[in-house]
Amino acid sequence: MTLSQGRAIFIWGTVISTVIFLGLTYDSISKMPKRTHAEELSDAVADGKWTWQRYNCNDCHTILGIGGYYAPDLTKVMSQRDPEWTKQFLKDPHKVWPAKRRMPNLHLTDNEIGNLVAFLTWVNGIDTNGWPPKPMAVAAAGSTPLPGEAVFRAQGCSACHKLNGVGGDIGPDLTHVGSTRTPDWIKQQLENPRSHFPNSPMPSFSKLSPKDMKDLVDFLSSLK
Amino acid sequence: MKYETQKIAYQYFVAATLLFGLQVIFGLLTGAKYVWDYDPLMNIIPFNTSRAIHINLLVVWLLIGFMGGTYYLVPEEAETDIYSPRLAAVQLYLFVAIGVAAIIGYLAGWSWGMPFLEQPTVLKFGIVIVALIFLFNIFMTMMKTKKWTVIQGVLLGGLVMLALLFLFGIFFVRNLSTQYYWWWWVIHLWVEGAWELVAGSIIAFILLKMTGVDRELVEKWLYVEVGLVLFTGIAGTGHHYYWIGTPGYWLWVGGIFSALEPVPILFMVFDTLRDVREKKIEIENKIPLYWAVGSAVMHFLGAGVWGFAHTLPQINKWTHGTQVTASHGHFAFFGAYVMINLTMIYFAVPRITGVVRKGHGRSLVALRFMVFSIFFMVLALAIAGIVQSYLQRILGMDYLTTQDYLKLWYAVMWVSGWGVVTGVFIYIFDFFSMGRPPKITA
Ligand code: HEM
Ligand code: HEM
Ligand SMILES: [Fe+2]
Repeated sequence: MTLSQGRAIFIWGTVISTVIFLGLTYDSISKMPKRTHAEELSDAVADGKWTWQRYNCNDCHTILGIGGYYAPDLTKVMSQRDPEWTKQFLKDPHKVWPAKRRMPNLHLTDNEIGNLVAFLTWVNGIDTNGWPPKPMAVAAAGSTPLPGEAVFRAQGCSACHKLNGVGGDIGPDLTHVGSTRTPDWIKQQLENPRSHFPNSPMPSFSKLSPKDMKDLVDFLSSLK
Repeated sequence: MKYETQKIAYQYFVAATLLFGLQVIFGLLTGAKYVWDYDPLMNIIPFNTSRAIHINLLVVWLLIGFMGGTYYLVPEEAETDIYSPRLAAVQLYLFVAIGVAAIIGYLAGWSWGMPFLEQPTVLKFGIVIVALIFLFNIFMTMMKTKKWTVIQGVLLGGLVMLALLFLFGIFFVRNLSTQYYWWWWVIHLWVEGAWELVAGSIIAFILLKMTGVDRELVEKWLYVEVGLVLFTGIAGTGHHYYWIGTPGYWLWVGGIFSALEPVPILFMVFDTLRDVREKKIEIENKIPLYWAVGSAVMHFLGAGVWGFAHTLPQINKWTHGTQVTASHGHFAFFGAYVMINLTMIYFAVPRITGVVRKGHGRSLVALRFMVFSIFFMVLALAIAGIVQSYLQRILGMDYLTTQDYLKLWYAVMWVSGWGVVTGVFIYIFDFFSMGRPPKITA
């Protein structure tokens, strides 16, 4: 090989790759508004994005899989959590979710919190080519989970309660709760925890819609 | 050293060396937060602040090192003094001042909040000014003689590309996906593009000077290597466009091009070894050569092998956003850019200070300490990442629960981190024992 052949490889290698890359960039940028449902990108969402940046959330949490690996990925968090729960959590994280690894209280204003939830809700709708993947074990089992399980997750119950070994220690293990409590007792506990345990730190879930409440009670009662 | 003004590089190397020490201390602090659940510093230096400082210091000291290397290299290649040593000094002080302002700002909660680019916008404009002064000074130096060597051309090309790409990381974009689309033009196209050009030309220069092989041979291969780096690396940016709201064809384009990225890195290993084998002059101070060979190998393992391991979408789908990425990030940055900077420093500093040292054991102790410790560290992170991917993505375990299972590997990471810090401090001590430059006359 000669120097001028080397130079030709350099020039052509660079040019070809750049042309492909710029061409696809043009195409991507024109398709991304649709894939990210940009028509729903309101001012509140953009303000929420700025709040997200200002508090440097991204150096603890990944989003779209990018960032710090210290805290959960938030790309699809709003499929898992209820907006009201998220707002309360952001107001005082450790009180709502006493996890061992703590999130600091950022002293966010209600306005900032509202914008953040709008932002995360919008991010939740981005078409990510199926990422994060559905856990293989769950996908393989093919079982359709009871609708109440989604309510259980969205309300963050596992912050305090264990189910099959996963969850917090603040409240009792619920793995077999259906074998010791009746559905009516469970419903009563959800609506007014202090009626059973006067000093209970558990919040009331009476705000749940009748359907969510019924699904949740059915789910818990099925845990035998 | 042939030209008086090459000395300016020394100040850059001092700054780079000290910031390197600070960077790894912040690494330990960041890592400690994984090892112990309760963080007593949570409200003073929380994880995000600590991480931001750790990775910013990394990028800043590597850039300062590259600038120092450039100021050392260009006079010898262009056969003339630096256009303005005073401007070079001003540029360094300005850069360090901006860096200090950024760190104090992070501690006070002032952040722009995109990873690696956390610097608030005003400071980013300051960085642009630093880059402009630097490029101006280098360009004017080259124009004095208009002796264009390939090494200089590739170096200048890399530096201009580096500066231009930074512009894509300055502006706020409302759409997160689009923001990340441009963010990768800085992050990926730096380390897998522009920086490879800078590092490649610096290594080519050192090998040329140390081994006395034909310039034509070195420059021909430099062209081929950086040509293939850009061919695979530019379209290879697509390996970051799999899951961020971008069209599906990136799974093909990113996968295919980035899978080829290890090829030029492997060429660099062969190239380095061949130059050393075919050396035409007796090498008195072998230290830079140890670092150069070490770097070639570690660059290939960290970027080439560790990068390839998770670059195909079929695998990346499971490992994306886990500790697997952290493992690769540490290995690649260390193997490629830390070691190349230290190679340059060990090459240039004795030539600047004129101090001839008997024996050079300490440098090799530092090298071994760093290489072995980093190796254990990235192994621990890789295991943590694979276990995490399994628990989270296969079994569907909740993120925070997975962390309990990774404690052991975080502990191994952290203990190895102390080994890295030890190696770095041995290096710092060794750096200052290489003497100081004689006073600049005139
Ligand atoms: C004492 C040794 C070190 C320790 C304990 C350490 C620890 C850490 C930790 C805990 C993180 C945050 C990872 C996360 O976001 O979850 C991190 C990030 C990072 N560190 Fe280090 N580090 C050390 C040395 C280094 C060195 C020598 C380099 C450069 C070669 C480096 C480069 C990086 C990079 C590039 C990131 C960002 C990684 C990514 O985004 O994937 N670190 N480090
Ligand atoms: C010296 C060159 C390189 C350096 C310094 C480097 C560094 C990094 C860093 C710091 C990240 C994490 C960025 C973040 O999300 O915060 C990353 C991600 C990645 N790198 Fe590299 N890299 C290099 C070369 C390569 C090569 C040659 C390949 C492929 C063959 C590669 C494949 C990847 C992939 C696939 C990711 C994304 C990981 C994920 O999905 O989270 N890298 N690299
Ligand atoms: Fe990349």
